[in-house]
Amino acid sequence: MITPRSASNHRPGDLSRRRFLGGVLGGAGALAGAGLLGGCGASGSAVARHPEGGMWRQFAGSTLNFISENTAPTAAIAANVRPFTELTGITLNIVTLELSALVQKVALDLASGRSTYQVIYADPYQVLAPYAKGLVDLRELMADPSLPQVPLGVGDFIPTHLEAAGKFVSPDEIYALPYDCPTLIWQYRRDLFEKYRDRMAHDLGFDPMPGDASTWDQYYAIARWFNDNARDDVPYGTGHQAKQNDSLMNDFSNLLWAYGGDYFDNGRAVGGLGTVDPGPCRLDSPAAAEAANFYAKLLKVAHPASLTWDWDGLGNAFAAGQVAMCPNWHEYAASNEAKLPGKVDYARLPRGPVRSANMYGGTGLGISATTTADERRAAWLFAVWATAPEIELANLRSKAGGGTPTRTSVYQMPEVVAAEHRPSTMPNILTAPAVSKAWEPENIGLRPKIPMWNECDTAIFTQLSRMLAGDSGPDQAMRDTTDQINRIVSRGWVASS
Amino acid sequence: MTPGILLLAPLSLLPFVFIVAMSLSRVHLLGGVRFDFAGLANWARVFTDPDVGMAWVRSLSYFVLTVGIEMVLGVVFALCLWRLLRGRNAVLSLLLLPMFVAPVFVGLLGRFLTDSTFGLYAWVLRHLGFETDVLGSQGTAFAAVVLMDVWEWTPLITMIALAGLSSVPLSIREAAALDGTSGWQLLRYVVLPSISSVLLVALLIRSMDAIRYFDIIWVTTNGGPADATKIVPVRLYEVAFRFFDLGYAAAIGLLMLAVSILVARAFVRLLDRKGLAR
Repeated sequence: MITPRSASNHRPGDLSRRRFLGGVLGGAGALAGAGLLGGCGASGSAVARHPEGGMWRQFAGSTLNFISENTAPTAAIAANVRPFTELTGITLNIVTLELSALVQKVALDLASGRSTYQVIYADPYQVLAPYAKGLVDLRELMADPSLPQVPLGVGDFIPTHLEAAGKFVSPDEIYALPYDCPTLIWQYRRDLFEKYRDRMAHDLGFDPMPGDASTWDQYYAIARWFNDNARDDVPYGTGHQAKQNDSLMNDFSNLLWAYGGDYFDNGRAVGGLGTVDPGPCRLDSPAAAEAANFYAKLLKVAHPASLTWDWDGLGNAFAAGQVAMCPNWHEYAASNEAKLPGKVDYARLPRGPVRSANMYGGTGLGISATTTADERRAAWLFAVWATAPEIELANLRSKAGGGTPTRTSVYQMPEVVAAEHRPSTMPNILTAPAVSKAWEPENIGLRPKIPMWNECDTAIFTQLSRMLAGDSGPDQAMRDTTDQINRIVSRGWVASS
Repeated sequence: MTPGILLLAPLSLLPFVFIVAMSLSRVHLLGGVRFDFAGLANWARVFTDPDVGMAWVRSLSYFVLTVGIEMVLGVVFALCLWRLLRGRNAVLSLLLLPMFVAPVFVGLLGRFLTDSTFGLYAWVLRHLGFETDVLGSQGTAFAAVVLMDVWEWTPLITMIALAGLSSVPLSIREAAALDGTSGWQLLRYVVLPSISSVLLVALLIRSMDAIRYFDIIWVTTNGGPADATKIVPVRLYEVAFRFFDLGYAAAIGLLMLAVSILVARAFVRLLDRKGLAR
């Protein structure tokens, strides 16, 4: 028979159950702590330097990890990464994710202190602004004589791209090299516009063909006209990316700026270099309410599924012939050309009472600051290579995707200029005339580059979604968003402070 | 108890202590995770945040609707299958199929079927005169995500209820039939009481799952439109992994855990009353 052992049975020196448990837990804690600290200290780098390899091959045999959003430019790079490996001897692993998943991975990677990903697709609003301290100031690598320089210098990058995608707060520090540059432009069915041009002009009293003089009021009138008169050719005149998502904020912002509103005072600077303290939100202005009012009116005549579409949904619907026109990222041109060859054309977005505004959504390549010195240097090789003019040109020709260049020199190449007109072997460059106008300082739309943007963005698209669902009027939606943003900004940014 | 505690410590206890500490802190990520003590600020915010409050209201509605519909339909299907003498296994196999699909694929399937450009259901609804986009308006979007969950998990209830029905003694049913009971009386006074314990277990399993429902909503509506489908887990994910306000997210998560434990305790107490908890 087994009897419980009483306390009196203990001899001095015997290990009691409680002491044993305490010891084991303490030991486990110590081991875990040591493991964590050890993990913070050493990353087990797969990068080793061989100076005899020269400028480009000094890290031959190393492995780099590049984390990117699943965008067209990265698809093109992934499909054509062999030249980089042949040039440098570096093996490149590319991890592509949906943007919100990428932001999580990057944040946790930076928090861990171990750079699993040396090269980072640094979205200016969701990665660069909140985690600028976790990225290398690339000037230190530009100044390193043992490394290749940026071909044609950073001055070759389109200035607004370098400012918006590459810098944060300081005009001198450079955290990322501009890598892609999706921009919202007016995409329209040229075949349908030409077919109905005279009738529309007669009925509406203006030439409907999109141009520099086109206004948002005209856009609305054209959308209604298609709804009423061309159902046999296209179900709806316009479609929008108005799902409760980042896309809704993008879509609305074009109108906000066109009507003279903005998220904060000095919006150009807050969107350009960015700031950690943007001051009070200005969405409670009459201009913002007017823009919201027009947006709600526009969505009433848009394809009803607009409320469920993000940019992909809208891109698919446009290519499927569901709408005659829409504002969407210009990098959808390649898929438009594949599905509706020769039928789609592009223009800068219409003007509002104040200006035309075209949301810029470009991104740069940054390098994690939790890397070792050699990892940074090896990562720099990739950043320089991936943003070089000849690679941007190759991306334009890629069958796997490819965005549009971020460098002035590439747009000036004769073959690129020739490809701006059909027949074109570089379908994305068909948008060049429209986007080059969209990127002019007076037309570009730059959302606030602030560390707490993700939360502000969520407040904006949630309130807009409520407005579109009829839960609140435009004035109320803008006031509620203002209150929420002011609360978010006053709390400050927690994670990287 | 030592082996149990040794096993639980790394799996549950240490993370739990970590999360509690997190909920009382401002969590900094860059340069290594660092906690700054913030007292009860995150907890005060949980109980005063109107967005979280509304998310709880939606969670409750969602919980009642999904679990309620699944229980009713599951029992009805089980009764039908119980009466089925030929081909029961084949029908049961077909009925169980949705259960084996990952929730994220159920969401994608639902999204494609209701897509107004090429969705089959959208096409059918349009021909029935329903022009609104299913996932585009608040009421229909909420109904859609509820129905997607019902489609996936009703078979589980059916399977559990059918197992219970198989154990109802034939002698009791025959005795009831000899006494002249109607079909409804047999169901009300003999069958349902006999399987009530099994149904309670099914209810417990589904309830625990429904509280942390996330995948289908994230894939289909992202919590919209107008926050109509933003239940607590979606809000929690947003706070933790979009805003990286990990201290506040920990407080929301712990509150969810407390609610789950309360619900589970309520069911276990019911089982206990029936003498089935041990």
